[in-house]
Amino acid sequence: MKISAMRLEALKEIGNIGTGNAATSLSALLQTRVSMEVPKVWLVSIEELEKALGELEAIRVALYLKVEGEAPGKAVFVFPPSSAEAIVQTLLRTPDPPDIFTNELAQSALQEVGNIMVSSFVVALSQFSGVRLQPSVPALGIDMVGAMIDSILLEEGEIDDNVLIIDTKLSGLEGVQGSFLYIPESGSLDKLLGVFGI
Amino acid sequence: MSNTIIVGMADYKIGRTPDKLMTAGLGSCIGVCIYDLHEGAAGLAHIMLPSSNGNHAGNPAKYADTCLEMMLEDLCKLGLRKSRLKAKMAGGAQMFSFKGRTPQLKIGERNAEAVERELKKHGIPLLAADVGGTFGRTINFDIKTGELHIRTINHGEKVI
Repeated sequence: MKISAMRLEALKEIGNIGTGNAATSLSALLQTRVSMEVPKVWLVSIEELEKALGELEAIRVALYLKVEGEAPGKAVFVFPPSSAEAIVQTLLRTPDPPDIFTNELAQSALQEVGNIMVSSFVVALSQFSGVRLQPSVPALGIDMVGAMIDSILLEEGEIDDNVLIIDTKLSGLEGVQGSFLYIPESGSLDKLLGVFGI
Repeated sequence: MSNTIIVGMADYKIGRTPDKLMTAGLGSCIGVCIYDLHEGAAGLAHIMLPSSNGNHAGNPAKYADTCLEMMLEDLCKLGLRKSRLKAKMAGGAQMFSFKGRTPQLKIGERNAEAVERELKKHGIPLLAADVGGTFGRTINFDIKTGELHIRTINHGEKVI
């Protein structure tokens, strides 16, 4: 897969618009400011994925939703367990941080966060591109980041030698940080970028 | 001094005693080591998908069939005899499930089956395997002892 410089810029803009909306909804949910970095667009070979993901063995929480419709893709919000604890603690107003590995209420609160963020992302993208999209139910993973991302990428039983990921870093609350990843299917690019006329 | 040789996704590496071979964060992927204890040499592959289906474009190391073929060729170049090789594997998990949906393709399971099938085709006995489940694995193979150490986040450690 090769992508022109102009398309890469447009994909960054898609990250800006979609993730911007997702960040706003997270901010409303947590009633705190959530800031967002300029999106990065990774077009990396699978061997180089580690560069984009950081240490493959690091423990992360992943909220994974499929984006279905005319331009399918995958949305994943990845963040450290400490951030997940802080988010749940804020949402549920518990005095102590919950054990996200075992506490089912905490896990379902996290899934709801995924739902809300990805729904806002999808709404922004649909409005902007005119393409009809809808998110699936969320799936939650707490495990090695490499193991989770490889499974997400390989789910369809095929993978291009190069993977396209729109990666936007978010931060808010005390020490809360995460990456919002959007992985469009290669066939979706024309639809998503059609509005730019490129 | 023993070095640890790190194997990335869709790649394989060959090592010799006293080195160790490791690959991190296996989800639905499979880590398979093929070794000859007597000769003190081994290869470890990080396989992503079951079969190349004769597709020769792209990186052949991501598929079970083409990757094992290449790794075996390299091991034989070292002077190892195919008939003395043994294998162990780990990985092949199903990391995510969506409520109310059955997964369309169980890639982890199919990867494990494909590796098993390819090993059988080449006549290499699979001595041990730790596959399936819903969790990631990091594996470390000690070429000297033939032990495969498996580390997980919430499902303990084991040696096969």
